[in-house]
Amino acid sequence: MKTYVIAPLLAFLAMPIYASKMTMPSDAPKSYKVECASCHMAYPPGLLGQKNWKNIMTGLDKHFGTDASLDPKTQAEIAQWLIKNAAIKAKYSALAPEDRITKTAWFVRKHDEVRADVWKRAGVKSPANCMACHVDAAKGNFDEDSIRIPTK
Amino acid sequence: MRLDIVNKKLFLGLVLLSFIGVAISATPQELLKGYESQSSKASSIRGEQFFNTKHGKEWSCASCHGNPPNRDAKHNVTGKVIKPLSPNVNPERFADQVKVEKWFRRNCNDVLGRECATQEKADVLSWLMTVK
Repeated sequence: MKTYVIAPLLAFLAMPIYASKMTMPSDAPKSYKVECASCHMAYPPGLLGQKNWKNIMTGLDKHFGTDASLDPKTQAEIAQWLIKNAAIKAKYSALAPEDRITKTAWFVRKHDEVRADVWKRAGVKSPANCMACHVDAAKGNFDEDSIRIPTK
Repeated sequence: MRLDIVNKKLFLGLVLLSFIGVAISATPQELLKGYESQSSKASSIRGEQFFNTKHGKEWSCASCHGNPPNRDAKHNVTGKVIKPLSPNVNPERFADQVKVEKWFRRNCNDVLGRECATQEKADVLSWLMTVK
């Protein structure tokens, strides 16, 4: 009897796109970390849909105000991997305005209780700086229990 | 004259290599020598000034690398930690020629809206080599 309850529960907890868990696929090319995570966290590809990743990877020379251009081989390698691992579920794959994770409907809703002055604190700096508050974000853990909001 | 041709070939080769994304190990001293051979002697005083001043756009080099760049700094926009730029503190810096050229290309474009001149690279590198 117990297994009827536990088995679906375990299956549910193991789902990769469970709200608080957004793990990095194990087959990430080395170039992803080297090229992308020099300036920002290596965002798990499941945080955006295919179209957004395509847009981002074809406009790297003007990447949110900076030049993040790559050699064609590396660009193709990263783009292919991002697109392969992009969000599939409707909630995460809906087209994000400006190709920003931080402008997706789910991101905005999840952070609606964060006051404007908190985003501006030196320790936070930008909504793109996941690790400022989600201390284990680099490991794909966005659990509410692992949030430490910088006081300044 | 002869050296000029060799340098041009070397430069074209480097451009090609950066195109296909290969690493070429180097030392800061070798890189500096290479830049100086294509410009004039480096000035660390000019380099320091160049690094810490804005050049008509929003950022200076120091906006993201800090000043002096001998400790962890934070990306001006994202807040991501950027490891120290001085090769004396961080031996991974200026150790791969292709990587160095790639970041000069990107970051000079962000700071100056153009590529850096060889003289500018020589000056900045010579200053960074003095930062302890």
